[in-house]
Amino acid sequence: MLRFLSIRLLRAALTIGLVVTFAFIVLRMSGDPALLIMSADAPPEAVAAFRKAWGLDEPLWNQYLSYFGAILHGDLGQSMRDGRPAIELVAERIPATLALTVPALILKIGIGIPAGIFAALHRNSFLDRAVMITAVAGFTVPSFVLGLLLVLVFAVQLGWLPSGGQDGWRHAILPIITMGAGGAAVLARFTRSAMLEVLGQPYIRTASAKGVSWRAVVRHHALPNAAIPTVTIVGFMVGSLLAGAVVVESVFSWPGVGRLLVVAVANRDLAVVQCILLLVAATMVTANIVVDLLYGFLDPRLRSGVKA
Amino acid sequence: MSIALSPAVPAGTTTRKRAGMPPMVVFALCWIVAMLVVAAAVQWLSPYSYTALDLRARLQPPVFMGGSWRHVLGTDELGRDVLARLLYSIRLSLLIAFGATLIGAAVGTLLGFLAAHLRGFVEQVVLALADFQASMPFLILALSVLAFFGSSLTLLVCLLGLHGWERYARISRGLAISAGAQGYAAAVKQLGASPWRVYGRHVLPNIASTLIVSMTLAFPEIILLESGLSFLGLGVQPPETSLGNMVGYGREYLTRAPWILLSPASIIVLTTLSVSMLGDWLRDRLDPTLR
Repeated sequence: MLRFLSIRLLRAALTIGLVVTFAFIVLRMSGDPALLIMSADAPPEAVAAFRKAWGLDEPLWNQYLSYFGAILHGDLGQSMRDGRPAIELVAERIPATLALTVPALILKIGIGIPAGIFAALHRNSFLDRAVMITAVAGFTVPSFVLGLLLVLVFAVQLGWLPSGGQDGWRHAILPIITMGAGGAAVLARFTRSAMLEVLGQPYIRTASAKGVSWRAVVRHHALPNAAIPTVTIVGFMVGSLLAGAVVVESVFSWPGVGRLLVVAVANRDLAVVQCILLLVAATMVTANIVVDLLYGFLDPRLRSGVKA
Repeated sequence: MSIALSPAVPAGTTTRKRAGMPPMVVFALCWIVAMLVVAAAVQWLSPYSYTALDLRARLQPPVFMGGSWRHVLGTDELGRDVLARLLYSIRLSLLIAFGATLIGAAVGTLLGFLAAHLRGFVEQVVLALADFQASMPFLILALSVLAFFGSSLTLLVCLLGLHGWERYARISRGLAISAGAQGYAAAVKQLGASPWRVYGRHVLPNIASTLIVSMTLAFPEIILLESGLSFLGLGVQPPETSLGNMVGYGREYLTRAPWILLSPASIIVLTTLSVSMLGDWLRDRLDPTLR
């Protein structure tokens, strides 16, 4: 178990390292930061002084190491827009984003998984078809289209709900439904296929043949085995809690991390973008570790066998 | 989104229909053909240029909402014909998606073959990169690259081309390794064929059907990504127009002129739906790993 955990942690560190490297390479490839920040007609001495001050005259390898070091110390740079630390700007947006993504996640799990199990157990019935058609439609309709349609119907035509902004719980309803619908569709499809695969296994037939009631077969033999692929997808959804709302927040002008990212990208506010990138990587990696630990809990065979 | 269409659905394995195409797939195929015709013949089909202004007919509703036949689908805030813009948007969106899908397939397959051929360190690097790619939300990676470089059409196509490369890499690596274990690849190698020949002429044709299925599954995801980025104003830049772009700009006129955004939105939905249905059907029919 300890070895399992340490390998996982090592991999997690590797992933974070890759993200940092990715950010560094992209940053350096996009041009000389000195020329990017200083105006084009700045005197050459000023540019040289700037390079020296920021260590840009050192070999690339040293720059990379000091860049890495700064990030390890939590120094993620300052926003080019208002000079505040990027991490502060991002942190104050997190609650707003979670206010949307957590209820949306509950909606996804609460609708998607039961719908998928139901569809698998009533395979090829009319309801199975209906669930699956809804599910396919659910993820081929992009969230911005669904969001705008909901606004058109419920805000513009019926006038029941506000169309955007963040001012009380009524403003959160449409964005949560928009986000939840697509995710529920994905989960329903995954759960259904996982269940169908498990239901076709010999041990299900064996259990039935022993005279175990169908209800018990489903509860004790099918569901735990089908949980493994489903947990992977839920883990991915948990990992994107912080930044999974980029498009939806933009549709509804919701002041969360996703909206901040879009604005920062449009303004080329590199420190903020990089901070969000690292934050997303960190949450994703943490969610992956939790999923791996859950695998061990769900499937005893995976506990000892460490497959790299 | 990268996970949405990737499950190896075993559903079709037992009830796979052998005879004929289901009507939904026929419809999907017809729709795709229609879109391809539009994309190829847009110059002759379009009633106006997509940048032509008709300032006396701004925000005019489409025919079925009380407009005139001069602008069948209405006009936008500058009096540009929505139908003309729609047709040009279809072409650009499809071109980007095609280009990106091909790049993704080529890069992924090449890396997969490299990993299978060289094994060892190279293979570990490719696999680590694939894990990394699969574990990060692609939209965030794409947005950060766009933040650093600004948006241009070439960059957009290359960037979207990176979407999903890891799936092709995994598939082609796995299949190439198993092909190496089968007699034919080893036999050609013994006859003195170069690696290029072994992989290009012998292994690739044998795994092509699986790769083509992955491409049909990746294609709608790339359309959705492009339209999402363009909707956010970070993808295709004006005066060029794409489907997501039209929805993004139409959003400003949601209450006064919903037709600006409804027609591109429905084209996006119908096209992604059609390609996914075709892809699912092809996978059930062609994919040897599911048999």
